[in-house]
Amino acid sequence: MSGGLVAKGMEVSFGGVRALRGVDIVVSPGAVMGLIGRNGSGKSTLFNCITGFVRPSGGRVSVDGKDITGMRPHQVVAKGVGRTFQTPRLEARTSVLTAVTCGLYASVRSSLVGALFGSPWAMREERLLRERAEAEMERLGLANLRHVEVGKLSLGLLRLVEVARCLVSGARFVMLDEPAAGLTSVEKDKLAAEVRAVAARGLGVLLVEHNIDMVRQLCRSVAVLETGNVLCQGTPDEVLRNDDVIRSYLGALGDIEDAAGGWQ
Amino acid sequence: MSFVARRGNTLVLAICVLIALPVVTRNAVWTDSAALLGIYALLALSVGLSYGQAGILTLSQAAFASLGAYAAAICTVRWGWPPLADLPVALLLPALIAFPVARLVARLSPLATALSTLAIGSIIAIAIRSADDFTGGYMGIAGVPSIGFVKAPASYAWLIWAMVVIVVFLYENLCHSAYGRALNVLRFDQARAAADGVNPPMLVSAAFAISSSIAGVSGWLYAHYISFVSPESLDAHLSISALLMAVVGGAEFILGPILGTLLLDGLTRLLPAAELQGVYYGIALIVILLVARRGIFGLIEGGLAQVRQLRRSRSGEVTALEIEASRP
Ligand SMILES: Nc1ncnc2c1ncn2[C@@H]1O[C@H](COP(=O)(O)OP(=O)(O)OP(=O)(O)O)[C@@H](O)[C@H]1O
Ligand SMILES: [Mg+2]
Repeated sequence: MSGGLVAKGMEVSFGGVRALRGVDIVVSPGAVMGLIGRNGSGKSTLFNCITGFVRPSGGRVSVDGKDITGMRPHQVVAKGVGRTFQTPRLEARTSVLTAVTCGLYASVRSSLVGALFGSPWAMREERLLRERAEAEMERLGLANLRHVEVGKLSLGLLRLVEVARCLVSGARFVMLDEPAAGLTSVEKDKLAAEVRAVAARGLGVLLVEHNIDMVRQLCRSVAVLETGNVLCQGTPDEVLRNDDVIRSYLGALGDIEDAAGGWQ
Repeated sequence: MSFVARRGNTLVLAICVLIALPVVTRNAVWTDSAALLGIYALLALSVGLSYGQAGILTLSQAAFASLGAYAAAICTVRWGWPPLADLPVALLLPALIAFPVARLVARLSPLATALSTLAIGSIIAIAIRSADDFTGGYMGIAGVPSIGFVKAPASYAWLIWAMVVIVVFLYENLCHSAYGRALNVLRFDQARAAADGVNPPMLVSAAFAISSSIAGVSGWLYAHYISFVSPESLDAHLSISALLMAVVGGAEFILGPILGTLLLDGLTRLLPAAELQGVYYGIALIVILLVARRGIFGLIEGGLAQVRQLRRSRSGEVTALEIEASRP
């Protein structure tokens, strides 16, 4: 198996619904791979089965040649694959800073016992975690929301907090599920710049996004999902010219963008 | 954050103890009450960690405490160990049982997990009763020596409350660490925690093991202070009382269980009829569930948040909503 995050022949069914029917996708280090498709085409399900939240009934996932199929979510994180959730899952009362710092869990080296006794080493690491979280928030324009409770944020900003929490983790591959929905255009630009910077650092990004402009700007390659199959794959321009894609996806896009607009 | 700010609870508690204990220990009856209250406070703290942080509604803490108490009694009386040498046993024995049990049941629903802790508590109690040769069966073990230099009840009160402060210090460290934050996340959303890289059953089990060690220490103190343990000393009722104390004070707040202990147990000591204790506890629980689901500390926190918001809107500081509104 080659380098990168590779999923081959992924199959998932929920009862009678075959949500994925043999999907192949490759995320290379340093590149942004786009994933588009109409609602219910299986994008989030692909995320879930790569990251261990849903057990695939077929297919294999590997990271840099190492098989991670069937691993549990925290093991997948340990292999360097991070993700965001399409619907942010955050407890209303935590502050933005705390939420982002939670994303650093996988990089914590001090032990539970060290933390319990407040060893100098654990305290120093704690300071470091905070600094890393603050730096990521700065880059995404979240710095002045540091002490705001996440329950007070709009869905758009919540997604941005999710993205910060994922990017800060030190994962080598990050999977972002519709991160730009509900953001203002300035915020979208910040997000796009950060995604580009992250890819430039050598991370592989898998981006689910309904915002075609953003996909066009960021992605070297795009895959289109339709009812659990990859309809086609190529550069954004190739894909967006494809007749099948126009019929299946772009036709429905008006509705989707209306829905996304409703959150703003 | 500075050293002091991250240890607010420990400092507050230490100051309260330093102010209250010298007064309390002037009276022999109060001294005894203070020592026992401290032991119950430790037990309630163990519930706070288990239920308030790890989300395991535990009904086995008194059983873990009795493991600690019997460890003390057996090591010192039967085997002639010097007191203090038995402390590691009292700490580790409950954890060695709690950890694998939690690993098995932590994946179950909260109710099933709670029932499993009840079952484990009963099994421990039955095992202690039936191992006559070893534990003295129904008779228990008498003549547990005092802990070296600590002999007078007043010294015990000091030792016990010092232990409470130490446990709160450790507990507070944990809460301000990545592990404490992860516990917070997984209590309300395991999938979210897993996406951060947390192994939920593992972390929950570790927290439960630490909580059982705290219960073990309370039992260890009990055995040395009372100098006698029997199956009735730390029975299942106490598990339920400890849970009540934690919930009334606010299980998820570090000092909540201690406040709950002082209120419930402290006040019943002042009340005339001891038989009414059950009634009193029942009323307290109902009142708390009706007016403050998150306990007294939850109520206080809610009030403080409102005050802060009021002051902020008066002083014209930007609120989250205004930040939202002014987004570019
Ligand atoms: N947990 C589940 N149980 C049953 N069916 C599910 C589950 N998750 C997803 N599905 C079904 O699988 C299909 C794919 O859903 P998925 O959420 O992956 O789509 P999506 O491409 O992410 O859509 P959207 O753009 O709306 O986010 C849908 O038909 C959905 O109803
Ligand atoms: Mg989706």
